[in-house]
Amino acid sequence: MTPVVADFLIPVGKIAAVILYPMVMVVVMIWLERRVVALMQGRLGPNRVGFQGVLQPVADAVKLFFKENIMQRQADKFLFNISPVLVMFSSLLAFCFIPLGEPIRIGSYTLTLWIAESPVGLLIILGLSSISVFGVIFGGWASNSKYPLMGALRSVVQVLSYEIPIGLTVLTVAFIARSMDLVEIVRRQESSGVWYGFLMPVSFVVFWISAVAETNRAPFDLPEAESELVAGYHTEYSGMKFAYFYMAEYAHMVLVSSLVVILFFGGWLPPFPSVKALSFLHVVPGFIWYLVKIMFFLYLYVWIRATFPRYRFDSLIRLVWKWLIPLSLVNFLVVALVRYLL
Amino acid sequence: MRFLRMAFLLDILQGLMVTLRRYFSRKVTIQYPEQVKEPAPRFRGILRLHRDDQGEPLCIACKACQRACGTNCFDIEGMREEGAKVMRPVKFDWKLERCSFCGFCAEVCPTSAIRFSREFRLTGLDRSGLLFHLPDMYLAGDDLQKHLCAGCRRDG
Amino acid sequence: MAFREIDLNMGPQHPSTHGVLRLKLAVDNEVVLRVVPVIGYLHRGMEKLWENLTYTQVVPLTDRLDYIAALSNNLGYVLAVEKLAGIEVPRRARHIRVVLAELQRLASHLAWLGFMANDIGAMSVLLYGFEAREDVLDIFEEYCGARLTVHGIRIGGVPHDLDGALVARIRTVIDGIPKRLAEIRTLLDENRIWKGRTVGVGVIEAGDAVDYGLTGPSLRASGVPWDIRKDIPYSSYDEFDFEVPLGRNGDVYDRYFVRLEEIYQSIRIVRQALDGLPAGEISAKVPRVLKVPPGEVFHTIETPKGVLGFFVKSNGTDKPERVKMKSPSFINLQSLEHMCKGNLFSDVVGILGSLDIVLGEIDK
Repeated sequence: MTPVVADFLIPVGKIAAVILYPMVMVVVMIWLERRVVALMQGRLGPNRVGFQGVLQPVADAVKLFFKENIMQRQADKFLFNISPVLVMFSSLLAFCFIPLGEPIRIGSYTLTLWIAESPVGLLIILGLSSISVFGVIFGGWASNSKYPLMGALRSVVQVLSYEIPIGLTVLTVAFIARSMDLVEIVRRQESSGVWYGFLMPVSFVVFWISAVAETNRAPFDLPEAESELVAGYHTEYSGMKFAYFYMAEYAHMVLVSSLVVILFFGGWLPPFPSVKALSFLHVVPGFIWYLVKIMFFLYLYVWIRATFPRYRFDSLIRLVWKWLIPLSLVNFLVVALVRYLL
Repeated sequence: MRFLRMAFLLDILQGLMVTLRRYFSRKVTIQYPEQVKEPAPRFRGILRLHRDDQGEPLCIACKACQRACGTNCFDIEGMREEGAKVMRPVKFDWKLERCSFCGFCAEVCPTSAIRFSREFRLTGLDRSGLLFHLPDMYLAGDDLQKHLCAGCRRDG
Repeated sequence: MAFREIDLNMGPQHPSTHGVLRLKLAVDNEVVLRVVPVIGYLHRGMEKLWENLTYTQVVPLTDRLDYIAALSNNLGYVLAVEKLAGIEVPRRARHIRVVLAELQRLASHLAWLGFMANDIGAMSVLLYGFEAREDVLDIFEEYCGARLTVHGIRIGGVPHDLDGALVARIRTVIDGIPKRLAEIRTLLDENRIWKGRTVGVGVIEAGDAVDYGLTGPSLRASGVPWDIRKDIPYSSYDEFDFEVPLGRNGDVYDRYFVRLEEIYQSIRIVRQALDGLPAGEISAKVPRVLKVPPGEVFHTIETPKGVLGFFVKSNGTDKPERVKMKSPSFINLQSLEHMCKGNLFSDVVGILGSLDIVLGEIDK
């Protein structure tokens, strides 16, 4: 392979893919959410634009693109403009560290399905996902309006609280895999023959609940609780800036689902990777397995949203400090102990 | 028992099962322009004037409907032609915008000339489409597919 | 971080103020200190309007007061006028009125269930509740040709008879409702989030509730057994056997439960009324131009929202001299501040939802 291709075209292609892949997933997710919620409520949902309404999110995006950008006169212009970008940027950047599968060999060249592999990839992703909360705070504060401010305040408390159980459960995975490298974690699950989600169900449940809370999704969608705060921190946003917040939220969901799949459900591995009798499952490309699993968790997001009422602020905080954090601490100690003894 | 319910998230799982069941159950959406839900026989849609079997108008311009109307929708003028036995309306204006579809006019009509049709599309593109004159009142009433909406009825 | 008290305007364009209510809230961080409802955004001058209409022409306008339960308003006004004019309504008409009024109660409570659950964030319940409500509204459409502003009761009786097909249809619909309710109850009754949002929230003691003049299911949730249908029976409600469900704590959860229970009781009443539907006329003889003898009357009925009172004063002509309406939503709204004080901002939405107010009735 010529150096031009290897050193220039492929990285550029990868970067384009990293931007496109989450965007496509976001579009699919928006469609999935509207359709699935509708079907669960006895409705049909959007089914006119394109086949079964798949193009509905695109139509929405086009509409938002042409909408007027409204900014309050008293708003802080710089922060107001920077915050949607910040939210979007941090979600997209995190996708650089998400591996999509094992490297592919093309002749002598090895095509890796990630942009950056880092021995501390897990930490970087967690760090990036907490940067997005700055976007929310800035957005809520700069709007100079009361509902966004309250939404931003709620968001800060919520995200900060729920990062503790996330960190603690992620550590258990790192303990078992002896690595914070996402590719390595998946390989360890392959060699040990069991997905970590089945090995450590408590870790998975705590991580999932906290992840739903961190992405501000129902039943933890207090920062943007529609019936209380109108639209929360992005009440004052319109047009493309609003679309940025909206897309970033969904990108964040895709990110978290990918993370759950990698950490607890074997990434691109087929089910029961070590059982010989099921080796025919390897026929299906790893990427398909990966996508199927991600879609399942995205579906779970929507399913939960369609089912439950919204938490109140105090019980939300009570849940994390009185239940999830102690639980994840105990879980962490048990895992550490088991790891030490074995 | 209660503790077990809480610890194993039974309430949560039960709830999830309900929505999952609904996911596969029958949907109630009516896809409107293609599918139309037939209004009930007594449906109070657009008011129409009717003719008898010989094609003679039933309305005798007695203005009972005009008096019964609580919102002043009607503007009726009648005239008896030379040699005719009864009066006939020469002007019969009905203002759809004002109508509250209470049904008093149809109830008091002595000849059952004015009746509700089952047309439920009450919109129009301009106000003039919402003012019905005498010829408009005689348009075929019950054909739901014929008119897209009240205001566009002249194109129908 | 210490917050100074801030004023928060909730409405009139807020997703969960049930129309155009505006609440002036004073909040300290998330804790509500004061609630001042600002009303009048939907004022249409109904009472003045009625003075210029004949007695019969007023009836369709009462549809527009509590548009969630239009027929109950019809009934309240019509009963007051009949009392003043001394019109004796035939027994069959009274039975049909009870059937319709109880169906309307079903429809109203089902809509309330949906709105309330949606305010608290359970969005599917909104659709489930409305699915059941649509069935009931279909009956109204079949009966009198309209779904929302039904105008389904006339002075002296009812406009149409209940024929066999319609009776059968009503039976199938009310038989289907408990099953739909069971589904909703699985989602809400024991759900920890729902309980967390409702139990112990917006408490009003029985004594306070009476002092504030709270009426209807919200009053009974505080444990006060006051139901006009039982205590001052009208329209042959005394012929039917039903219970008045009571709550104990007077919180949002009890108000939810009392209304749920009332749905079952309404189904019971409808069944009895349909079983014992007497033969006879459906309307008394009422002159086309109704002239009511001079005098004044006040009549109350139990609507889904609470006690609805109509004061009618006649001067002997065919138009009422004055009609005053004591609307339940307006009076129930007064206790909002008492319930909300000290609770969190999120609870205001739930409490407001649990009061079941309709702005058409408050602003008149």
